[in-house]
Amino acid sequence: MHDHGSQEGMKYRDSNQYKVLLIGNPNVGKSALFGLLTGTYVTVSNYPGTTVEVTYGNAWLNKARTLVIDTPGVNSLVPMSEDEKVTRDMLLSDRADVVVQVADTKNLRRGLLITLQLAEMTVPFILDLNMDDEARSRGIVIDQEKLSALLGIEVVKTVAIRRSGIDKLLKGVQHPRPSQVKVQYDAAIEGAIRDISSLLPEANISRRAIALMVLSGDESLKGWLHANLQDHVVADIEEIRQATQSKFNNSLGYLINQRRMKKADELLDEVLSLHEAGKGSAIAFNVGRWSMHPVYGLPILLAVLYLVYQFVGVLGAGTAVGFLEETVFGEYLNPWMTKIVHFLIPVPFIQELLIGDYGIFTMALTYAIAIVLPIVGFFFIAFSLLEDSGYLPRLAVMVNKVFKIMGLNGKAVLPMILGLGCDTMATLTTRILETKKERILVTLLLALGVPCSAQLGVILGLVSGLSGLATFIWLGTLVAMMLLVGYLAAKIIPGDPSDFVLELPPIRIPQFSNILIKTLARVQWYLKEAVPLFILGTFILFIGHKVGALAYIQKITDPIVVNFLGLPSRAAEAFVIGFLRRDYGAAGLFMLSREGLLDPIQIVVSLTVMTLFVPCIANFFMMVKERGTRTALYMAAFIFPFAFIVGGALNWLLRALQVEL
Amino acid sequence: MAEIKRIIGIEGQAGHPALCVLPEIEKEDELFEIIWTLREDGKLTLEQIVQNCTISECEKILQDLAKNGWIDLKGQAVELLPKGEKRARELVRRHRLSLRMFYDLFALDGAEAEACKFEHILSPEVTDSVCTLLGHPPNSPDGKPIPRGECCAMFRQEMKPLVAPLADLTPGEQAKIVFITPGSHSRLDRLSAMGVVPGSVVKLHQKKPSYVIQLGETMIAVDKDITKEIFVKKI
Repeated sequence: MHDHGSQEGMKYRDSNQYKVLLIGNPNVGKSALFGLLTGTYVTVSNYPGTTVEVTYGNAWLNKARTLVIDTPGVNSLVPMSEDEKVTRDMLLSDRADVVVQVADTKNLRRGLLITLQLAEMTVPFILDLNMDDEARSRGIVIDQEKLSALLGIEVVKTVAIRRSGIDKLLKGVQHPRPSQVKVQYDAAIEGAIRDISSLLPEANISRRAIALMVLSGDESLKGWLHANLQDHVVADIEEIRQATQSKFNNSLGYLINQRRMKKADELLDEVLSLHEAGKGSAIAFNVGRWSMHPVYGLPILLAVLYLVYQFVGVLGAGTAVGFLEETVFGEYLNPWMTKIVHFLIPVPFIQELLIGDYGIFTMALTYAIAIVLPIVGFFFIAFSLLEDSGYLPRLAVMVNKVFKIMGLNGKAVLPMILGLGCDTMATLTTRILETKKERILVTLLLALGVPCSAQLGVILGLVSGLSGLATFIWLGTLVAMMLLVGYLAAKIIPGDPSDFVLELPPIRIPQFSNILIKTLARVQWYLKEAVPLFILGTFILFIGHKVGALAYIQKITDPIVVNFLGLPSRAAEAFVIGFLRRDYGAAGLFMLSREGLLDPIQIVVSLTVMTLFVPCIANFFMMVKERGTRTALYMAAFIFPFAFIVGGALNWLLRALQVEL
Repeated sequence: MAEIKRIIGIEGQAGHPALCVLPEIEKEDELFEIIWTLREDGKLTLEQIVQNCTISECEKILQDLAKNGWIDLKGQAVELLPKGEKRARELVRRHRLSLRMFYDLFALDGAEAEACKFEHILSPEVTDSVCTLLGHPPNSPDGKPIPRGECCAMFRQEMKPLVAPLADLTPGEQAKIVFITPGSHSRLDRLSAMGVVPGSVVKLHQKKPSYVIQLGETMIAVDKDITKEIFVKKI
């Protein structure tokens, strides 16, 4: 959940450094390798699509400062989704000195499909057979020297997460070569390749490779073609493509891939030998099987949820928050701070700004550090464990049918679950989805109903004092609203749903070091991202309180907050800061509830409203960035009134039915 | 012949430019096939027929066919009359089914030569059996549609077909992909990039709550619809 945005990239981009580009199928360990080479941590997880943006980092290779570039995984260099396009564009427009193709040794067949495409591009590259340990435990052994001879390039074996083989990789990087291996296509296709190549401009990759992309029906290449060629030439090229396509019943892209696959199989026949498999993989395999079993799958899911609840809700939100908030902050830090401030700064206004009711220390930092931080910390640990085990994509198998109701498919589970970590990052991850419709739908649902870790933690803390029924009503309302809005939005938003095709990674035992690093990186990210906004929110409240605006806001919102939602007037404060970050708003509710100002129905109602809010300002900006200003504004204009309406309806219903919580 | 050339073209190195050695009666059959194929391509003219025809006395045989009420000839326009239509349809069906059989089932390189001989000797009953055996394939290896027979309409699996949709496997079973009939082009492209192409060995892992298939060490969760379009032969 690091934001290695493009600005950071621009910093390195223009320099004339030696460039190393990491490329490969999804979930083969590119990011792990990137971390090893550069010492910069990027999120490493056990599912395809963890990396959706290009990441830049510096490394010292052979005593020279080198730019290492991590890219989103691709199954083919003819992109099918936005994240894949990013990778292809790197090859097309950014000349790298050496491309390192990272392949999963046990899945070399698919890796070779990329190898053959890199060979067609005539880029200098080397092949890294990663996860060699996993392949061996499954009895798969690759003859690396023979493969190297067949391809005419350096081939090395590594286990990135254990740093093994890195020396050889570094040596190999010094001798990149274009591969001589060639795939011969059907005569009609070869003819079209020649015709198209003669029309193409000089580029970083061979004309033959570009011609093949064009023939494969690569829509995303259109922009590049128009930028480099005159319109009538582009039209000529398209005509050749269509004429060639009309000679076949199957799509050219498929025929081209089929031929490449055949070549890959020929190569594989020469270099792969099978031996007896070890036992370890069988256990993991069975765990993977049970986790998506039609009968055991659901109990396992419930057990996982229960454990996460116990860990985050009870241990994190209960014990850890209790200790930090009451003991550390309540008994020590806040009294000390009060004394120090009173002693050092005799100005009452500043004293109040720092340690008053809306004090930066007593409110913002107490909320951020004592309440939210332990909760997100515990959540990040649990979440990292789930991520690295490979369980998350298996959830997609369980819920595919439910997601179909919302015009989505199981693949959308990944960004939605990531939303439980951080909705902002999850909005970025919608890039792994294939159609625009799905990306809009998931962005909307994330903003509407998926509580992020920080908020979820506070919520768990709040509802842990209530009955199971209260939790159920809150959760049930959320799920029902997401289904309803998803269902309706899917009807309104034009476009087609895409097929459910999702690769499931193997079940793995999470690595302690990666869990630790990842959790720390995320906690650090949380502090950087959230604390300034907490302070800003507190400052706004403080000013509002000082100039009397807060009382005024309470007065004009009373009809909604008090009459419609049935909440105490002060809840308006929580909603105001909830516009900035809803976890902060939830923390405000948490405090109200601690002061005994909220009864169970009020807790459920206020929580529901708060959860339905747009997660935070950062999330809104991400929506603008990914979906455009207009779409983002439409979504916000829908979400906020909708949240209040649902809350009001829930309040009315619970009171009318006289539900005892 | 036009069709045969195309198949050789697709498979590239298959490389046996098979010439069917034709007895007199079979020359007529050959013409019917040419007419059918040209009509599919929307290029049916007398001139085209003669151009694509490799047998001698092509035009004379055409005149005979017209005289006997098989076809209608008016200048350049050629039309199949009802009984000619039926004969051409059955011929093309036999030819393409034979090709399918030799290519997929027996994986013969010189399939077109064998198919040439076979199409003339298949009886209607045997043709339907072959069709059932292959799982009522909709296309020949080059993608041309195979005219449907009565057996396809019924499609009751009385004879357990050797080639069946992946969706019909029992979880745990392994099979080799024989052909794929995609609902959409992009679906096929995506799957082929993950290794789902004819010739790959695939295992149906589970059906509920979603279909999961396995190729080598790759596990892929897919919609049921997709597994209906992947036709496999059990191994």
